Amino acid sequence: MTGAQLSWLRIKAVARRHYYVLLRAPHRLFDVTIWPLVDVLLFGSIAAFVHPGHAAAGRLAAGYLLSGILLWHVVYQSQIALATGFLEEAWTRNLLNLMVTPLREMEYVGGVVLFGMIKLFMGLAVVSLTALGFFAFNVTDLGLGLIPVAAVLLVCGWVIALFVIALVLRFGTGAEALAWGILFVILPLSGVFYPVAALPWLLRPVAEALPTTHAFVAGRALFDGRGMLWGELGIALASCVVLGAVVVVFLTRMLQAFRARGYISRYT
Amino acid sequence: MDEVVSLAGVTKRFGGVAAVNAIDLVVRAGERVGLLGPNGAGKTTTLLMLLGVVAPDEGSIDVAGHRLPKGRSAAMAQVGFAAGYLPLPERLKVDEYLRFYGQLYGLPDPDIEAALGRFGVANLARARGTDLSSGQRTLVGIVKAILHGPRLLVLDEPTASLDPDVALRVRTGLQALCRDEGTTLLVTSHNMVEVERMCDRVVFIASGRIVADGTPADVASAFGGADLESVFLRLAGREEPDHKHERNQQTERPAG
Repeated sequence: MTGAQLSWLRIKAVARRHYYVLLRAPHRLFDVTIWPLVDVLLFGSIAAFVHPGHAAAGRLAAGYLLSGILLWHVVYQSQIALATGFLEEAWTRNLLNLMVTPLREMEYVGGVVLFGMIKLFMGLAVVSLTALGFFAFNVTDLGLGLIPVAAVLLVCGWVIALFVIALVLRFGTGAEALAWGILFVILPLSGVFYPVAALPWLLRPVAEALPTTHAFVAGRALFDGRGMLWGELGIALASCVVLGAVVVVFLTRMLQAFRARGYISRYT
Repeated sequence: MDEVVSLAGVTKRFGGVAAVNAIDLVVRAGERVGLLGPNGAGKTTTLLMLLGVVAPDEGSIDVAGHRLPKGRSAAMAQVGFAAGYLPLPERLKVDEYLRFYGQLYGLPDPDIEAALGRFGVANLARARGTDLSSGQRTLVGIVKAILHGPRLLVLDEPTASLDPDVALRVRTGLQALCRDEGTTLLVTSHNMVEVERMCDRVVFIASGRIVADGTPADVASAFGGADLESVFLRLAGREEPDHKHERNQQTERPAG
C-alpha cells in the first residue's frame, strides 16, 4: 500500500467513525435539519411581516434574507462539523487512543471534513427545500456563481473550526462554547443580510477585515443580478488563505503546547 | 538484539518538578519489560513520552528505529497501546471500533473475529461500548492494541479492572503473543505477582529516576527482599506488611 493509499484509508476510517456517531446520536441531526429549518422560517417570516401586502418588496426582502441564510449555513455547517467532530473525541475520551496511532493530524482533519461535507449537503438541502416550499425562493435562480462563493465560505468555516480546535487544545473543553459562540460574533460582522455600511461605523473596519464579509458581498450581487463580483471574491479568498495560514501556525503551536505540557491528562 | 525502544537522558518537568529525570532505557526486541514504581514515580509520563503524546524537555527517544517526534507516525505504526482506564468510544460497536483502528494501522479488513477469539471474547463483536463491563472494555482495548501485529506492545495497568479469571486470560494471551510472534512487551502494573509471571525484566522507577533494572529475582535480591512486592514497598517508603494477603489488591489507577 502506498503512502497516499494508506492516508486515504485512514481518512475514510475517520469519516466512517463520525458517520457512526451521527447514526447513534440522532440529536446530532439537529444541526443539519432543525436549525436550518428554523432559520429559514424565522428569516422568511420576518421578510413577509416587514412587507405585508407588497408582494414584490416582500419577495426582495425574503430573497436577501434567504440567500444570506443559505450562504451562512455553508459557514455554519462546515465549521460545526469540524469543530464538534474534534470535540466528540474529547467528550468520549478518545484522544489518547487516536494520538498513539500512526494517524497524522491532516489525515484526521481530512476525515472529519469529508464526513462534514455530507452534513453540509444535508443542511443546505433543508435550507433550499424549505425556502422553496414556504417562500417560493429558488436557490438555483442565483446561478452557478453561487458555487465559488460557497466554496470560499466553506474554507472560511474550516479556518474558524481549526481556530476553535486550537483553543480547545490549549484551554480544554471549557473552550468548547466557542464552537457555537464564535459564529454568533462573526454572523453580524460579516454582513450576511446587509451591507457593511449598515453596521455602526466603529465596527466597519473589523467587518472589512473578515473574508466572510467580502464573500457575502459577492453573494448579494448574485441575488441582485449584478453578476459575479470577482474582485470581492478574490479579496475574500486571499484574506481567507492568509487567515488560514495564521490559524494553522497557531494550531501547530497549540498542539506543541498540548504535548509539552502534558494536557492529554485532561482527557484520560 | 534490535533496540525497539531507546530513551537517552530523557527529562520531563511539570511546573518545575521533574516527573522524569534523565532516564536512560533500552528495550530490545522480544523482551517483556515491567515498568514499576509507586504512584507519581513517572511511569505513565515515560510511556506517554515514548508514545509521542507528551514531549520531553530534554533527551532523545527512538521507537522502532524512528526518532520522535519527527518519526512519530512511522514509529506508532509498529506500536500497540492499551490502558485499563481508557473507555471505548460509546457510539461504536466493538467490531466497528476494531475495524476503525485496524484501518488507521493500514488494515483494510482486519480479522476481527480471530483477534477477539484470541482472548475468548468473539461474542462481543456486535456489542456496543456502553454495554460492556469494565473488564470486557479492557479486553477489547487489548485486542485493539494487537490487531495490527505490533512490534512493541505498550500496556498501562492492563489488568487493573479485571477479576482474577479474566486477568489470567489476559496474561495467558499476552504470553502466547510474545512467544509466538516475538512481540516486545512494555507494561506498567501495580500487581507485582502478575509482573513476576509475565515479565523477564523489571525496571523500577522512583521520583522520576530508574533505581533498579534486571530480572525480577535479581532486583528483589538486590534490595534484600524476597519478591518484587517488598521492593515496591521499600521504594514507596513503607515497611513490608506482615499479612501477605494484601498482595494483588493494589489495583488503583496510577497517577504517575
